[in-house]
Amino acid sequence: MKRRTFLSILAAAQAAFMLPSLSGASAAETLTVLLPPWGTIPKEMTDRFTTDTGITLNIQTMGWDEIRTKIVTSMVAQTPPAQATEVDWSWVGQFGAAGWYEPLDGKIAAETVADIPTAEIFKYEGKLLALPYNNDFRILIYNKAHLEKAGIKEPPKTPQDLMDAAKAIKAAGVAQYPIGLPLSATEGTATAFYLLTMAFGGDLFDKDFNPLFTDKDSGGYKALQFEAEALKAGLIDPAATGLKDVEVQQLFKSGSISFDVAGWAGNLAVYSDAGKSQVAKDVAAALMPSTTGKSRTFGLPEAVGIPAPAENHEAAAKFIEWIAKPENEIAIYNSLGDLPPRVSVLEQLNKEGKLFAGDALLAQAKTVEPLFKQGTPAWYPEFSSAVASTINQVAKGQLSVDDAVAQLAERAKEAQSR
Amino acid sequence: MGTRARNSLLPTFGKALAVVLLLVWSLGPIYWALATSFTTPADLVSKVPHFFPPEVTTEHYARLFGGSSVSQGNTVQSVWPEFSAALLNSLLTSLAATILTVAVAAFGAYAFVRLRFPGRDILFILVVATMAIPAYTVMIPLYRLMISLGMIDTYVGITLIYVSAFLPLALWLMRTVYQTLPISLEEAAWLDGAGRIYTLVRIVLPLAAPGLIAAAILTFLNAWGQFIVPLVFSPTLATKPLTVLIPEFVTRNYVDYGLMNAAGILAIIPPVLLVIFLNRYLVSGLMAGAQK
Amino acid sequence: MAQTRSVVRPAFIRGEALLGLAFVLPIVVIMGSLVFLPLVTTVLDSFYRIDPMRAGQPFIGVKNYVDLAGDQNVRISWGNTLAYVVMAVVLETLGGLGAALLLNKVQRGRQWLLAAMVVPWCLPPVVNAIVWLWIYNPSYGLLNNVLMSLGLLDAPKVWFNDRGTGLFLITLVHVWRMMPLTGIILLAALQSVPRELYEAAKLDGAGSVKAFRLVTLPLISGGLAIAMSQSTVFAFNLFDEAWIMGGSSLDSRSIIVQVYLSAFQNLRFSYGMALSLLAMLASLIVSMIYVLRVYRETRMD
Repeated sequence: MKRRTFLSILAAAQAAFMLPSLSGASAAETLTVLLPPWGTIPKEMTDRFTTDTGITLNIQTMGWDEIRTKIVTSMVAQTPPAQATEVDWSWVGQFGAAGWYEPLDGKIAAETVADIPTAEIFKYEGKLLALPYNNDFRILIYNKAHLEKAGIKEPPKTPQDLMDAAKAIKAAGVAQYPIGLPLSATEGTATAFYLLTMAFGGDLFDKDFNPLFTDKDSGGYKALQFEAEALKAGLIDPAATGLKDVEVQQLFKSGSISFDVAGWAGNLAVYSDAGKSQVAKDVAAALMPSTTGKSRTFGLPEAVGIPAPAENHEAAAKFIEWIAKPENEIAIYNSLGDLPPRVSVLEQLNKEGKLFAGDALLAQAKTVEPLFKQGTPAWYPEFSSAVASTINQVAKGQLSVDDAVAQLAERAKEAQSR
Repeated sequence: MGTRARNSLLPTFGKALAVVLLLVWSLGPIYWALATSFTTPADLVSKVPHFFPPEVTTEHYARLFGGSSVSQGNTVQSVWPEFSAALLNSLLTSLAATILTVAVAAFGAYAFVRLRFPGRDILFILVVATMAIPAYTVMIPLYRLMISLGMIDTYVGITLIYVSAFLPLALWLMRTVYQTLPISLEEAAWLDGAGRIYTLVRIVLPLAAPGLIAAAILTFLNAWGQFIVPLVFSPTLATKPLTVLIPEFVTRNYVDYGLMNAAGILAIIPPVLLVIFLNRYLVSGLMAGAQK
Repeated sequence: MAQTRSVVRPAFIRGEALLGLAFVLPIVVIMGSLVFLPLVTTVLDSFYRIDPMRAGQPFIGVKNYVDLAGDQNVRISWGNTLAYVVMAVVLETLGGLGAALLLNKVQRGRQWLLAAMVVPWCLPPVVNAIVWLWIYNPSYGLLNNVLMSLGLLDAPKVWFNDRGTGLFLITLVHVWRMMPLTGIILLAALQSVPRELYEAAKLDGAGSVKAFRLVTLPLISGGLAIAMSQSTVFAFNLFDEAWIMGGSSLDSRSIIVQVYLSAFQNLRFSYGMALSLLAMLASLIVSMIYVLRVYRETRMD
């Protein structure tokens, strides 16, 4: 039997015993939105949205690791997971290539998009697939008490400074393993490596997606070597081969490590909260170290987009525009701690003194660039999980740095070629 | 307790040791969840691990049961509305799946053992073989089907999926139980003029009670621990169970270990109560009683 | 047991087939629509290229399967899964049998012991992960602490840096969670062994071990077959433990983790589905080995 024939019989069978549909048109317009826990905006705000627009919001929450599974399942089954959903920066290439999301061009006011520089990351072939509601970028977070005890005056400016500072801290007996970097086979390991690649002045790929990390002088090679050396010198906890980024963050909060090298900008608020952190008084942030003198970092924002098969795109677009309003970004920052994507809002919060380490945050925010200037490619997730697995192998001593970069280039080619 | 010495395979000391071993193995890791659930967030990240919370706090349980707390200068809402709804959903779907599965298996397995009908053996083998199907294999076509039936996010939908997943095991278990039952009792009843269904319900099922209870416990626990199925088929709190709700206690920049462990500990209680309650029916006493 | 069927048949014999069909009708409806229909769809899908990122869904025959045979990552995943299955089935069967025998003997407080045994199964998966990550934590985990205080270890060990140890520790978490299932199945089987048989064996002068081998084991063999094939199927489907402890690491990647990565992460949907079907076949074949063996042996007794 042909698959198509079978599918049509299946559809007929389904229709035959379909229950009388209870989901008839409801009186009021409702909009279902699927977001992770930090997108669960408080009731006071959803009520306000209803008053503003006449649309009732139905926010569905789902754990971060699971939200993608849900979206993929629904979209492969050709049904929308919700009328508007989470879109992570790393999914843009895949979802764009699959044509799963409705372009927002023309649906969102140009000046809104203009005030959100990270919106650029959500463009696929020039079309905007989603609008950021949550800003995230990496920044160097350190324990200033540790540095002082080891006689270090200021935070490291270059990767070499970082290495030296860590050695001094270890030698002074302040921290056994000063550098916090995840080395498990998880995404956090890969993103930390990309950040270090930038710190060494490198990029992952050229404009034709040829790997740039295989050469011994390349940023990527040096970054991997940095990680391997720091591990060998006992500056990174050998246990890091099993640690995810959130576990490294736990170590920072306990005061076990001095540097959260790939620190999340949004984490500063938690680190400085005495109820959740043992180092609340000692935490500080600085620009990412760099060999070139120009600090670089990349953005990992999250956005909201509209699945193409969903109904009522207009209502979804209203919601997306609404949460990007400055006052709503502030309300979300206050209630959920999500860093606002609008630069103007970040500046305002800093002026009001509501942003911990705000000056460093703002300075770093201005250096944020996308990891891929051409837009996140469709093969990114496959490549990135190969990066994480490979770094994990290097850390476990199963692979040399040279073999690792060769393997990565190979995996990149494989991922691109299909 | 005069029978104890006679029927003990192991000497009493060995038995005591085995009990201790089983308890440590099963409950040791649970202790950590319990200890974490009473530890303050700040102590959870302390450098030295504490085997006993240095400062016992009930704040996590308080949040689950309706209190609100302050974090990062903001009032954190109680999670009681979500938690209670998810707990209820877990209970309802697991119980409904258990009752339905055991009922269908009790009759179906009987047919597979005692009644001859065309296609009997092949049907049994096919149904039991479905146990080997990974959840991911059928998830997407099943999702499409449930959408067209309008059964996404309904108790009926999720319960039916659980039944389809756990029926094969219950059926197989009940089949072996019926096979070990002597047919003579049934024959005696038939000679007295009792009908098939009457004999099954009044004579066979009581004899098969330990098997039925085991099937019920297995189905309930399997349903209680489900994650990937409700994740896809129960998107909202209308049917979302605890297993899917608890991972949501991770916020963007903060993993609420205390709250997650407190919720996990509470999630243990209903199945444990059920097992303690059903234990007496697992005992052969009931069976022996019925035989007399 | 079919041969024990008596010649005494009631008068309603003709209704037998009808009654039988009526009893299995719900099974046919539920399993047919919710399991077999989707399964057939997936089997057909696996012969097409269903890749949401590429246009069209052409028929490609067995290409997915051929590609799978040549995929290095898939081969490594099979190796890991095989290790998980062997270790998990052995440990769960021995442990579960031990627990069931113990529960069968304990008179007082049995409901509490039973409850204690099933607790691991009731802990939500995500909490389970938190607990075990802490136990295995190299810097301050319980395992290192206990081994060091017992003098079995000089310095803390990073368990997952060694592939074999990592595979074993992941299996241990799985066994911890799944052993109650074996225990309950075997306990139910033990409960249906008539006490008179033990007494008869005792009278014949059989010792405990001999009585167990000659009386108990054959009588619970049906339960044993169920329990072992359940363990096999669950071990083939091992996902959570490997994903949480090892992420996408090739040292611990199970076949279902590979399915997830192919279908849901890399969006090569039909490729992942083809692999999941192979996993299903493999667990069926392995389970069938015990089941056939157990049934053959029972028949001889």
